[in-house]
Amino acid sequence: MRTGFIGLGAMGRPMALHVHRAGHELAVWARRPESLVDLPARICASPADLGRCCEVVFTVITSSPDVEGVALGKDGLSDGMAPGSVLVDCSTIAPESARRIAGRLAEKGIHFIDAPVSGGEQGAIDATLAIMAGGDATVLERVRPLLECLGKRIVHVGPNGAGQVAKACNQMIMVAAIEAAAEAMRLAAGAGVDCAKVRQALAGGSAASRVLDVMGERMVRRDFSAGIEARLHHKDFGLVLEAARRSGVPTPLAAVVAQQLNALMAQGWGRDDTSSLLRVLEQA
Amino acid sequence: MKIGFIGLGIMGRPMALNLIKGGHAVTVWARRAESMQPLLEAGAQGAASPAEAARGNELVISMVADAPDVAEVMRGVASAAVAGQVAVDMSTIAPAAARKIGEDLAAAGIDFVDAPVSGGEVGAIAGTLSIMAGGSDAAFARAKPAFACMGKNIVHVGASGAGQVTKAANQIVTGMGVLAVAEAFAFAAKNGVDQGKVREALLGGFAYSKILENHGQRMLDRNFKPGFKSWMHEKDLNIVMQTAHELGLCLPGSAATAQMFNAMVGSGMGEEDSIAVLKLLERLSGQA
Repeated sequence: MRTGFIGLGAMGRPMALHVHRAGHELAVWARRPESLVDLPARICASPADLGRCCEVVFTVITSSPDVEGVALGKDGLSDGMAPGSVLVDCSTIAPESARRIAGRLAEKGIHFIDAPVSGGEQGAIDATLAIMAGGDATVLERVRPLLECLGKRIVHVGPNGAGQVAKACNQMIMVAAIEAAAEAMRLAAGAGVDCAKVRQALAGGSAASRVLDVMGERMVRRDFSAGIEARLHHKDFGLVLEAARRSGVPTPLAAVVAQQLNALMAQGWGRDDTSSLLRVLEQA
Repeated sequence: MKIGFIGLGIMGRPMALNLIKGGHAVTVWARRAESMQPLLEAGAQGAASPAEAARGNELVISMVADAPDVAEVMRGVASAAVAGQVAVDMSTIAPAAARKIGEDLAAAGIDFVDAPVSGGEVGAIAGTLSIMAGGSDAAFARAKPAFACMGKNIVHVGASGAGQVTKAANQIVTGMGVLAVAEAFAFAAKNGVDQGKVREALLGGFAYSKILENHGQRMLDRNFKPGFKSWMHEKDLNIVMQTAHELGLCLPGSAATAQMFNAMVGSGMGEEDSIAVLKLLERLSGQA
């Protein structure tokens, strides 16, 4: 299938390469052309140009306004994509934005799947991403062969926006777990107990988790270099709390975690790993 | 002074009436024409658009719901701009939004003051609002005679946006204050102690506050009629939390409070007064 990719950063680049390796033709566009070096792909002049030559287009970019701009803006994908083609957005954006983009594309007969991913850079490289999809089931089936190049666990959550809601839920649980691990490490240190031993002991019991495993390890080693840049989790928590607000659902824990992330940003650690939440606790 | 007044809701109507009572020549505009009627009867002129309400007036005041509404009416005002005009927005919006509107108006030669208020409908009717203003000294001086008709405690806090920052700070204190009094009452009740007696005892000490006195009394009376609607307090706390997010500012107490108001709106108490947070606490602890 002729497949386009926009957003060839830490996540998008390995994803595009997996699709290419599976035998699909690749076309790419980037705001900064230097991110396109060494890609076995046709380089397009604009998102519209890319849209014209692809049956399926993937976007893997940072924020809601960026995705809306690329999809709907001047020379955007919607100016080029043919009726019946599919835009698969793997970015983490607001459910509202996903629904809005889907609605506008539908006016031109273009299909949309919101398909945010979890698993980080390593998951993208290993093609083991968890993919949470929102959109029409038959459209999802058409692009499933491509998604299977990227990850093993592909779940159709519901209509457009549902994938982004699932991703918001994912981020809530994950970052709250990082905060919990940080507080446990802080408590251990404050009580004069060896953090590494505590983490090791916990790993065998009911508190064991992937977050305690990976992020706890970084906290013990005091290796705060990214990892997952904390500024992205900070951005995502803005989306989480906005979604909670729109739904009128109280999320008291997420609200407090968001404040710790605000403090992390204020300390200038946004480009470091989110295990830096430990360092926020140490400021108090 | 010739004043254009835009937005005639629960707050705007009595504020505009007080300007007329103060002897100013007021031209009004509201989205719903019928809300203009009581003002026309009181001697105001009617306008067909925000631009027309602004045209030829030294001062233009808006009192509307949210930032997009303010931006829209101010675009109309700018289209009819006369050099030296002053525009004042008394709605509660985000500081960043106010600064942006100020810049846009400056480009049209209009000096802008953000001047949100505290004191509610009662204060608007009595002309006793607290007014917190942000903008240039010259623009504040021009608007001050109008402020004096609508409010008592009028403070020029600083540059553009400073009024909205102050209002957000006000909502932090009042939001947490209402929650604090409600929690104290829930605490007393669960311990089998009379809430009214607790309030009376606390009024004499360091826990005294206007909120304990007034909101506390309404909690005792279980009078949840607004006052100040929960959904509006939720909206204002959202401005606080958005701004904290953008700045990288840790506000754990405000965050917890905002979630309580979020839950109130979600469970259908949005139209009740913010003291209904007491009912939410009672429900959470099985006291209802």
